[in-house]
Amino acid sequence: MSESIQLVPVSITVNGKLYQQEIEPRLLLVEFIRETIGLTGTHIGCDTSYCGACTIIVDGDPVKSCTLLAVQVDGSEVLTVEGLEQDGELHPLQQAFSQNHGLQCGYCTPGMLMSSLALLAENPDPDIKDIRKRLAGNVCRCTGYQNIIKSVQAAAKNLRED
Amino acid sequence: MEMKFDGEFMIDLPRKEVFEILSDPEKFAPLFPTFHSMEMKDERTANLKVKVGIGKIIATSTTELTLEEAIPPLRARYVGKGNVMQGAYQMNSSFNLEEVDGGTLVKWQGETILVGKILSIAGGGLRGYAEKEINKLITSLQEALSPEAQAGKLQAQAQSKGWFSRLIQFLFGTNKQETSTSEKASSATVESVSYAPHPADALALKQESKQKINDILNVKRSEKKLGRKEDKRLITGQGLFVDDYQPGGSLHMCLVRSPYAHAKILSIDVSKAEALPGVICTITGKEVAEQTQPFTQIGPEPSALIQDFCLAVNKVRHQGDPVVAVIAESKHIAADAIQLVEVNYETLPAVISCEDAQKDETVLHEEAGTNQTWQGVYEYGDVDKAFNEAAHVIKIDHLKFHRFSSTPLESNAVVATWDKRNEIDFFCNTIMTVPIAMIGPALNVRSDQIRLRTHDIGGAFGNKIGNYPYMTLAALASRKAGGAPVKWVETRSEYMQAGGHGSERNFYDTEVALDKDGVITALRSRHVDDCGAYPRYEPLGCVIWSQVLPASYKLRNVCINFSQVVTNKGPCAPNRGYSRLPHMWFMERVMDICGHELDIPADEIRLRNYIEEFPYTTPNGCVYDSGDFPGLMKKAKEVIGWDDWQEKQKQARAEGRCLGIGIGTTLDSGTNNFAQSQIINPFLPFSSNSQVATIKLDLDGSISVSVGSFPQGQGHETTASQVVAEELGLDTDLVHVKTGFDTERNSHSGTCGTYASQFAVTGLSAVHGAVVKLKNEMKKLAAHSLEANEDDLEFGIGEQGPEVRVVGTDKGINYWALANMANYNKASLPEELREISLNVRHTFVPSFEAPDVEKKYGNLTLTYAMQLHIAVVEVDTETYKSKILDYAIVDDCGKVINHMIVQGQIHGGAAHGLGAALLEIMPFDKEGNVLAGSFTDYAPITINNMPDLKTANMETPSPFTYSGAKGMGEGGGAPLHAISAALQDALYDKGIVIQQAHNSPMALYEFINGKKQKPVSLIR
Repeated sequence: MSESIQLVPVSITVNGKLYQQEIEPRLLLVEFIRETIGLTGTHIGCDTSYCGACTIIVDGDPVKSCTLLAVQVDGSEVLTVEGLEQDGELHPLQQAFSQNHGLQCGYCTPGMLMSSLALLAENPDPDIKDIRKRLAGNVCRCTGYQNIIKSVQAAAKNLRED
Repeated sequence: MEMKFDGEFMIDLPRKEVFEILSDPEKFAPLFPTFHSMEMKDERTANLKVKVGIGKIIATSTTELTLEEAIPPLRARYVGKGNVMQGAYQMNSSFNLEEVDGGTLVKWQGETILVGKILSIAGGGLRGYAEKEINKLITSLQEALSPEAQAGKLQAQAQSKGWFSRLIQFLFGTNKQETSTSEKASSATVESVSYAPHPADALALKQESKQKINDILNVKRSEKKLGRKEDKRLITGQGLFVDDYQPGGSLHMCLVRSPYAHAKILSIDVSKAEALPGVICTITGKEVAEQTQPFTQIGPEPSALIQDFCLAVNKVRHQGDPVVAVIAESKHIAADAIQLVEVNYETLPAVISCEDAQKDETVLHEEAGTNQTWQGVYEYGDVDKAFNEAAHVIKIDHLKFHRFSSTPLESNAVVATWDKRNEIDFFCNTIMTVPIAMIGPALNVRSDQIRLRTHDIGGAFGNKIGNYPYMTLAALASRKAGGAPVKWVETRSEYMQAGGHGSERNFYDTEVALDKDGVITALRSRHVDDCGAYPRYEPLGCVIWSQVLPASYKLRNVCINFSQVVTNKGPCAPNRGYSRLPHMWFMERVMDICGHELDIPADEIRLRNYIEEFPYTTPNGCVYDSGDFPGLMKKAKEVIGWDDWQEKQKQARAEGRCLGIGIGTTLDSGTNNFAQSQIINPFLPFSSNSQVATIKLDLDGSISVSVGSFPQGQGHETTASQVVAEELGLDTDLVHVKTGFDTERNSHSGTCGTYASQFAVTGLSAVHGAVVKLKNEMKKLAAHSLEANEDDLEFGIGEQGPEVRVVGTDKGINYWALANMANYNKASLPEELREISLNVRHTFVPSFEAPDVEKKYGNLTLTYAMQLHIAVVEVDTETYKSKILDYAIVDDCGKVINHMIVQGQIHGGAAHGLGAALLEIMPFDKEGNVLAGSFTDYAPITINNMPDLKTANMETPSPFTYSGAKGMGEGGGAPLHAISAALQDALYDKGIVIQQAHNSPMALYEFINGKKQKPVSLIR
């Protein structure tokens, strides 16, 4: 129980900033991000890795942070939705989601953006099948996914052309 | 459900030795922590018995463990398969070995895939369980591989461990010969597929992934106009959802919930929980009953007698019924503490089906004396005469609309603060002002003591109306904890048990009268709604369906006996398409079944029955404002390529394939007349509807708007700014609309909210009315300042920003100057202008009359948006899986204010309907156990299941709204209609009549193979 829990030191780099904290070993990565360091853009939707609202990038790969312990990423580099904007300028992927109405309530959007970013990093010209495959672990209850597909395609096009 | 784990550890043994142990099933298998016994099937496969326990449920499972891959001395991989507790699992575990300083670094990965009921039994705790078991396995492995173990030092200790002593014998008995065997066996696999990259390659891959992410981040950026006003914060992670609100000193509430569907609470012991450091207090039902009033019941007696509190008192009525609240300094401590609460129950028989509920043999709410919450007959025209004169009569014994939910991704949540000044602040995600009316009397506080506010809401779809009991409880918790903010965030498994699902409806003994041409002349039916354990917002659904009584059809003689019951399932809440959706699915089923029986094609029978003239008064007095059903069908046929699909269907049938084409016509009735609640309970003092908006030129001349709605993705900031900008001749960037709802903005009435498809009508009419009032005030000031006539003034942008000017001149006054006159420079104004505040409030009230309660007659809704869907579906008759081959939607919501937003709503509504039709259901077993305990079981529709939608739009403006717009957000659930129709068409030659709205492969299989009798009969 809580009184006997020994804290563990971790060093985790989030959006380029190093955080050194002593944390409970049971602290979930998503809790570390949202509560310990206060970046609340990453959301929790299902607690079981189904919905992907908690998707972030750890060392270059998209992962679902609601079922990873923070101690598991000690020493890693993490990118969250807050790291997409740079110097007040939006990333083309963010712009594409807005312009193509790829979000409504916005709750799934951070996870959707991170999975899409990982997809586009890997494959700059995905077809609809590739998009469906790579976003199958991200649930959106508002958009019916049509405009998410459109958003990712538009972002891919913009990124290729720029 | 899939779970993956990985890790690494060091062993002071050479890699070769470690590999020898790991690659031998006979040595590896006994490491399983609950290992019982084993038999070797062959040299690579062991059959082992293990005990599996989750909580108090223990079962023995047989696992077939196979060494799938052995690459000496680098890698070993096992696959284990077995069945347990009405489920199946597969485990993959792999070990990669690296030499480090003479020892071995073991890098392991474990993956468990689980299917079946086991998931529901274990709920959200399964991952923790699996993780614990895997950790045990790895610990055993470490111990077993340690040099001490090898040297026999652990022998004595091992003897007391049973399986461990056997393990030691296995490991260090004879292994030379076995090693050579495994080397031989693996020499073949070295050449075959390698499943994981070499560790060095893996590192390189990781570096490559990181580099790719860096590259895509460091691209050229440029400014671009965004789609909606809401988007900037939501795409940058700056939205503010309830759980994002983390005020200092917050406490956290977790709930002990009932494991039983129906039981008496014999005793509760919270002492151990309260003794846990960090726990502030607990609350039980007894305290709640002493300190609060039961929630107001909407229904008449006897259901008005139901005593519903925010915690179960004396008895639990559904699995997940909250029993005890624990408030602690952190959510982890609260979660620990709820495990320490001891509750003794005496179980009671569970009432699960409508049929059982109606028998009243077991009654959920003794104070009401019956499970029936409401019953009434809706009868119009001369039904008997129409049946006597009918050319055809068709009987349908039972149709069933299942329980499902739109499952907003953000669950119910609240941060409640009941401070020592006796004021309560709710930062929450409710969606209407009704909670104030529920919470105020329960807590015995005035409305003005309650501040209700929302910011961003992660979807609601009606469900979050059901949040008020939790809000009440969190407020009590805050008061008991001395006034600190108390946060409660529902977990997904709590939502699956009790978060507010759409209700289930059964349609019994339906009889349809038709004339010789297949035009329906009369309908008789008995409908029973199941609202779960507590009525809450019900029994309003018992009247709301009648907004669309004849659906899209012109029949005039109707008799529907409608009733509702409580059952031992989680309480329902409105769900997108609330109450009308099940009814329209029923009417569409009736249409298709009649077409099927009379051999009239689905399109033709609809065209013969559609309402043609508008405005149209339905048999129960509702007025359909405008529309064109044949036009919708024509367009939808064009969009999908109807003739082409007819040809393809013929070919498919010739090849023996089951391809079906289905049509769904639906209505989205918006802006309700609250007087309809009097049809349920004549004593309810509610009628009409109103929505409020306020607008002001703020102190510096900026335009600030607030609305009375609770947006959750519908883009109200965007559309409200459009209406204002259009009136003022400005760009929407200059109009600032407050986010979310706040009672302190004073822009609400008792019926404000985001529900019943109405913002485009009520919300925007209120905004429009407010901006017109503001313009009048601005004109008065401008006319004074410019020495001009008010009628000669116009609004627009001038050199000094937004201004009011004399038409056709550059003589104008800008907003800053106007705001200054009204706010800071009153003495400069003549007496009659000094009251102008440039801060106005407008209440929009639709013109509704009170209905005739006795006759159940009157106009219940202001607008009717329409959609027509066509689905092409192929059914695989081996797997019963349905594949959507093509899908078209044509919508008509009158004048469209924002096409992008309207289309987004249509897509979203379609996804909910398709999910519900083919995937999503909330099933229960006969004891009332929730069988979809997580998203893994419930399977909300994903991008992979969602077909490409072909959409088109028509506009028949509403004559009843200032803009011609109609509310359209709920959509009307046409995919449920269209998919049922398409499945029936696909299975036409098998004599199948689709009787259920949910048609997952399993449901379809059970339905088709379980039917003994024909459920439909043509009796004339």
